[in-house]
Formats: sequence, C-alpha cells, structure tokens
Amino acid sequence: MTGARCFSVLAAAALLAGCASVSPDGLRSDVAALTAGRTAGVPQAALPATDPAARAQAQQSINGWLAQPLTQDAAVRIALLNNPGLQARLAALGVADAERVQAITLPNPHLTLGRFTTSQEREIERTLAFGLMDLITLPWRTQHETERLQIATLQAAQDVAQLAADTRRAWLRAVAAEQVAATHDRMVEAAEVGAELARRMAQVGNWSRLQQAREQAVLHEANSQRARARLAAATAREDLNWRLGVWGAQAQYQLAAQLPPLPATALPADGIEATALRERLDVQAARRQLDTQAVRQGWSRAGAVFGDIGLAYSRNTTTERDTGSSDVKRGWEIELPLPLFDRGGAARTRAQAQVEQSAAQLQDTAVRARSEIRAAWLTYRTALDLARQQQAEVVPLRQLISDETTLRYNGMLASVWDMLAEARNSTQAVANAIEAQRDFWLAETDLQLTLTGTSPGALQGLTSGAAASSTPQGH
Amino acid sequence: MNRRNFFSGAATAVAAASVSRVALAALPEPAMQSSADTAPPLHPPTGRPYNPVVTLNGWTAPWRMNAGVKEFHLVAEPVVREVAPGFMVNMWGYNGQSPGPTIEVVEGDRVRIFVTNRLPEHTTIHWHGQRLPNGMDGVGGLTQPAIQPGKTFVYEFVARRPGTFMYHPHADEMVQMAMGMMGLWITHPKGSHPQIAKVQRDYAFLLNAFDVEPGSMTPKVNTMLDHNIWCWNSRVFPSISPLVARQGERVRIRVGNLTMTNHPIHMHGHEFEVTGTDGGPVPHSARWPEVTTDIAVGQMRQVEFIADEPGDWALHCHKSHHTMGAMGHSVPSMIGVDHRGLVGKIQKIVPDYMVMGERGMADMGAMEMPLPDNTFPMMTGTGPFGPLEMGGMFTTLKVRADQPAGSYIDPGAFKQPTGTQAFEWQGAPASTPRPARTDIPGTAPAAASARKPAASGHQH
Ligand SMILES: [Cu+2]
Repeated sequence: MTGARCFSVLAAAALLAGCASVSPDGLRSDVAALTAGRTAGVPQAALPATDPAARAQAQQSINGWLAQPLTQDAAVRIALLNNPGLQARLAALGVADAERVQAITLPNPHLTLGRFTTSQEREIERTLAFGLMDLITLPWRTQHETERLQIATLQAAQDVAQLAADTRRAWLRAVAAEQVAATHDRMVEAAEVGAELARRMAQVGNWSRLQQAREQAVLHEANSQRARARLAAATAREDLNWRLGVWGAQAQYQLAAQLPPLPATALPADGIEATALRERLDVQAARRQLDTQAVRQGWSRAGAVFGDIGLAYSRNTTTERDTGSSDVKRGWEIELPLPLFDRGGAARTRAQAQVEQSAAQLQDTAVRARSEIRAAWLTYRTALDLARQQQAEVVPLRQLISDETTLRYNGMLASVWDMLAEARNSTQAVANAIEAQRDFWLAETDLQLTLTGTSPGALQGLTSGAAASSTPQGH
Repeated sequence: MNRRNFFSGAATAVAAASVSRVALAALPEPAMQSSADTAPPLHPPTGRPYNPVVTLNGWTAPWRMNAGVKEFHLVAEPVVREVAPGFMVNMWGYNGQSPGPTIEVVEGDRVRIFVTNRLPEHTTIHWHGQRLPNGMDGVGGLTQPAIQPGKTFVYEFVARRPGTFMYHPHADEMVQMAMGMMGLWITHPKGSHPQIAKVQRDYAFLLNAFDVEPGSMTPKVNTMLDHNIWCWNSRVFPSISPLVARQGERVRIRVGNLTMTNHPIHMHGHEFEVTGTDGGPVPHSARWPEVTTDIAVGQMRQVEFIADEPGDWALHCHKSHHTMGAMGHSVPSMIGVDHRGLVGKIQKIVPDYMVMGERGMADMGAMEMPLPDNTFPMMTGTGPFGPLEMGGMFTTLKVRADQPAGSYIDPGAFKQPTGTQAFEWQGAPASTPRPARTDIPGTAPAAASARKPAASGHQH
C-alpha cells in the first residue's frame, strides 16, 4: 500500500465518520415534533430539556402550577416535564442515538508497534490497521441505523402520548374521586341524623330496638361507603402523583374542585378511521418498518403488494405527511399489484419474508387502529349520552322526588327518615352524575389518543351502573 | 264558614211546566249541575205538594210530568268533583256531580227514570230500600242486563213507601261506588203521617269515602278500609255546608252510609231520636234519646230533634280518623322526641325542613306548610278562636234565635253571651310535678317473671 493511497482511504473514512454526529438535544425536538397535538389536548407541552438551565426553569414552572388548584392542563404539562419514567425513556433514546453514531463511526485504526531484539539484530515493526469490512458496510449501516432510530423516535413519541393520556386519566379520576367522597360526607350526615333521631325515638319509647337498629345499619353502611370513597380518592391521587413525578412537599398540591363541563356537541364520527390511519404514530412506525424492509430489498412498491391497509398508501405519503391528506389519496389504487416474488436463493427468501412480516404487521396495526377508533368513538358517544342523562334528567328527577317527599313530610304523609333517605338518594344521584362525567372525559381521552396518538391498550370502557339506592323503612 | 258559596249553585235546567206531546215522546233533557255548593230546596212546581229537603253540597233533580208520571233523567258519567276548594277528584257520578241529584217524590207517585250510561263500562242503578217489581231492582245480571255504554234504560215503578232511600250502581259495584256513584232518594208522605212529623228543616246527605294518593286526582278503587278522604256528599270539612236552624225549630237529618265501615254520627248540644231508617218510620214507642247514632254500611238513619240551644255545635263522625284529611298511616309518632341539636343538621340536608310532631300533631293545623299538589291537608279549618284541626266528616249545626224561617244563609260565627265561655284561670298555677319515670322503654313487663333463673345470669 502506498502512502498516498493509504492517506486517501483514511481521509474518506474520516469524512464519513465526521458526518455521523449525535443529536445535541437527544432527539427531543424530533419527539416533540411528532407529539405536537398528541398530548391529551394540551397544546405545546414541553418535554424535559437536557440543559440544566432549562431544567431549572421547568422546575419553577412546575412549582407555579402546583401552587394553584391543579388543572388537567397543568397536570399533563407537569407529567411531561417531570415524570422520571419519561425522562428515562427519552434518555434511552439519546443512548440509542449515541449507539447509532457509534455503530456508524469507523473504529479507531489499530497501531501496532513492535520491538524485537536478538543478540544479532533489533527489529522495530509498525503496523497501522483498521477494519476494511467496517468501511465497506458503512453506507448501508448508516441508513439502517438511521431508520432504526427513526422507529425508536416514533416509539418514544407514542410513550409521550401515552403518558399525557395516562396523566389526564389520573387527573380525571382523582378529581372525580374527591368530588364523590364529598357527596359521601353528605350521605353520612343524613344517615347520622337519622340514626341519632332513631336513638332518641327508642330512648323515649316511640320506637323498638328493631326500628332503631335499621337506622343504625343505614349509618354503618353510609360510613363504610364513605371510607371506601375516601380510599378511592387517596389512591387516585397517588396514581396522579406518580404520573406527575411528585412526592413529599410537592405532592401537597390542591386539586381543581370540578371536572370540566360536558361539551355542548359531540365530535362527529366522520372520517375517524382515515384520520387514525393517517395520524397514529403506531401506524406510522409500522409503515416505516415496511419501508425500511422494502427499500433494503429494492422493493419500493412493496406497500402496493403487501401494505394495502385500505387507505391510499405510497412511500411518499410517509415522508411528505405535511402536504396533507389530499396527497395521501393520490390514486394509485388503479395500479395492479405486481407479483414480485423471486424464489431464487435463501437471501431473497429471507428478504421477502421480512417484507411480508412487516407488511402483515402494518396491516395488523391498521386493522387494530380501525377497530379501536370505532370502539373508542362509540364509547365516547355513549358516555356522553349517559353523562348528559344523569346530569339533565336523573339528578333533577331525584331532586324532584326529594322535594315531593319533603312536601309529604309537611303533610305528615311521610317521615323524617323517608325524607333523609331521599336526600341520600339525591346525593347518590349527584355522585353517579360525577362518575358519568368522569367516564365521559376518560372516553374522550381514549378517543383522542386512539385518533392521533397510538393504541390505548385496553379501552377504559364505562363503569357499570350506579349503586343501589337505599329504601326508607316503614312501607 | 264558607258562607260565600252557600246556595250559590242552581240546576242549569228546571222542570218545564208544559211540554208538547212530541217532546214528551222524547227523552227528558237531563238537568246538569256544575257547582258543588248546596242548592236551595226545590219546591215542587208540579205534582203533589211536599216540604223539600236540603241536600248538603248537593241538589234535587227537576222532573217533568208526563201523563201523570214523574220523569227523571239520570246520566251516569265521569265528573270532576270539588271535594274542597283546590282539591279536585276524578269521580264517576250523575248529571255533572258526585253524588248524583237527590230524587224527591211523594208516596204513591208513579216514577219513570231514564238512565243514560256515559261511562266507559256498563252500569245499572239499584233503588236501595224501595218496594218495586223485581225487574226494576237494578241488579246487573240478576234482574236485568247491564246498561252498556251509550245506552239508555228506563226504570218505572210506584214509590209505595215514604222514607229515606238511596240509589247506587249494582254493576261493577265496588269500582263504581269507590268512584263516587250514588245519590239520595226521598219519598215524602202523602198528606200527614202519624209517625212522620212535620219539620221546619230537612237535611240529607250520604257518607262516602275515597282513597286519593296525595298529589294525584283519581281514587284508588281497590282500597277497602284505609281511605284518606272521608266525605259527606263527596265533600270534606271545612267545605261541607253548615246545617242552620232557627231556635226552636224541629230539624230532621237523613244520613245514608255507602262507605265500607260504620260511622257513629255525633251531635253536640242536643239529644235526638232516630225516627226512621231506610226500612221506614220508627214507631214512637221504639225511639230513645241519643247524642250519637252509629250508621252501619248500607244503612240510612233519619234523626230528629228540637234545635233549642243557640250556638255553633259540632256535628261529626266520632271516629277521629274520619275527621282528618290525608295522613300517612305509617308515619312514626314523634311525640316527646327531643330534636335539640338536630334541626340545623337536617336543614343542612333538607333546607325546607321544620320540626313537626315533637309535641303532638297540632303544629300541622297551624303551620300550613306547602303540600304536594291537589292534596287535602290532614287537619285544617279555622274558627273564631283558632285552628279547628279537622278535615273530613265534620261540620256545624248553627242554631240562632234570629235565623229567619226558611233561610239557609250561614249566620257566621256564634256570638257567645258574656260569661258563657271557658276561660283561663288567673290564680296561682297548678302544682303538677312530673312523676319520675320508673319503667325502661322496650322491656317487656312479663319478661322477668317468664325467664328461668338459671337460663340467664343478667337482668334487664
Ligand atoms: Cu266515620
């Protein structure tokens, strides 16, 4: 090897190695770009920064949010900035980026120096060596690693969307549970008065021990239900704390007093399947996987053969998503799928199988996304109807029953206990309405995540019917 | 009380003095009544003379004479009866009201009654207590086919026996009577009768009862005894017209019972005699003085007395539940229960709550709390000295020295002569220490003696 040639090879390698550098922010801006509009309805939620000054500023914002009654918007923002699990996930993405760079950086040349002496002679040997194979495969590995990282970035973005949704759910559950626990305080108050009056009735001989015992049983039941409600509120809050990444003094925040009101109109179901296939990060990741396999095998049209997920699909659509859905629908559906199978050779077979695998995974993801979005919308719509019914019909109806019972008490047609029992039923209806409202917002969270984010896993569904209403005695 | 409305009602059609032959071949126009007030006595424009009765919160049906026959037309139909002002009940009745119009005839009259059925189901009319041909007795299925909706039947017989009678359906009888279908029938004696005295006032009413769920309008027809609206002529205190009399007048009261329990009718201030039943006049030798007469189910009693004690005298059923309005029979008694410290707590839960019943139920009569719609209160009515705490089978007999003969105007509250009213003791208060309570509530008196000593170590 001449010195000049040797130099040129080294220079080329150095050039290639120089192109591969780690992302300065650990790919966070890439993740942020992917999660824009996908963080549980919170616009422009920041992700944890890598530089210490920005982190300190984030902590300040977090403390500011925690000083106010915690809104769901603030909760999501805090979680995205402060959740250690997400930080770990994003750090892992930085690690993957570094590994990518490492993988496509040429290993340092090995310099071997040797000095050998005998009684007759002395030999000094100098060898400069580096792996030729690494150099040859460098372009291929660069592309592969880049694509692998893109998929990892998409997955990290899904985790961000999931955390945002999880935090919003935790916030909804915590706020609703506190509201419900407050209704149990009122139910216990009503039962306490009933039991105390019953005790006085028995004391003066107006009631038997049996009649008194019935009211005592009502009180015990109300107390135990309140204990459960308080526990539910505490555990729901702890779940939120975990998502927010807070503990100790920071966990002493006050929650917002109420859930957001129900919307006046429901989101329409039009085009939700198309939106989900276009927007969802998991579908995009599956497409990227198929693209990667297809490109590697030189099958730019692989998607046409295997990747038909029901929506017009071409490679361009994934890279040019910003141009909008009209581009997506560019009609190559009229093109016939070409039978491109080449059965020659194990490598070809392997490559073909990998493309088939990726294509099937894309289809699987797409079918799942379609099903999930339909189920999510139906759940959302039903939850809205149920919550509206509970709020607009059942609660006023229970109030009417309560008021009418009071009128009957006035006429000595009903007893104090009848009145108190109806007051408890009325309060129970309020608790049921709060839970229905919570279930609606949970369903709405699922719908948003399913529409543009990722698979929500098991849908939250709706909680089953309300607790049985108590019945006054004596009839 | 209720002076304003007394006698303001009158039948919308009155008996025609002369009618054409063609018209006589047609059905008589039914007289309808829209008022629940007491109509003035109907002095007979045709036929034999008699002294008419006054039907409390009711009226007498006019008739037409057709070739010597008194013709009446009863229309069985759904009505809305004002049981008390503001308390309306969906009933079934006759000619616009429940009860139906009183039919007044004279002993020996031939009577023809057209009965038109405008009910949703068939009906008949049974002429309770009358001597008549079997086929005119009005028992559906037994003596005649029932009158189908839209059909008119004709009953015709001679009023053979003077006395106090009633009429009511004998087809789906339980439902139709629970809905208010009934009426009075008076057969006046022809000329003078040795056992029927001439009276200056002759009042008549029927006892009837309904079960109306508070806040509703239609009686529950399946209730047997637990009714909550106890009426005289489908009317309750304080909306039942008072019975008025001039001091010294002889007064007759005719009462029939079409509820499902007996009613001991009690009069204050006077003794009376039962001078007749639906079986006829009681012989003088069989009469005895009473202040209460029990009227069993399906019975009529006719009592007479001289109204010689001026004043406002209570006249009522002596079953105290029957002088009450709607009440909750399962509401526990709160008497003697200390509510201290609880009122505020209950008001926090039910803001409109007021303590009632702690000292008794009289609070109810005074407080006038809002009630469910169309609900007659358990106790109501106010007199010159405060709440009467009544509601149901209660009214007053008003005897006045200056009440004009034949006038039924309510004279208002009685002005008691000075020194004739109970008064408050002004001396030293009575010393009435409460005895200490010796028993423990909820301990059976026989429990200690019944217990075997070995069976249990502890004592209550
Ligand atoms: Cu009675």
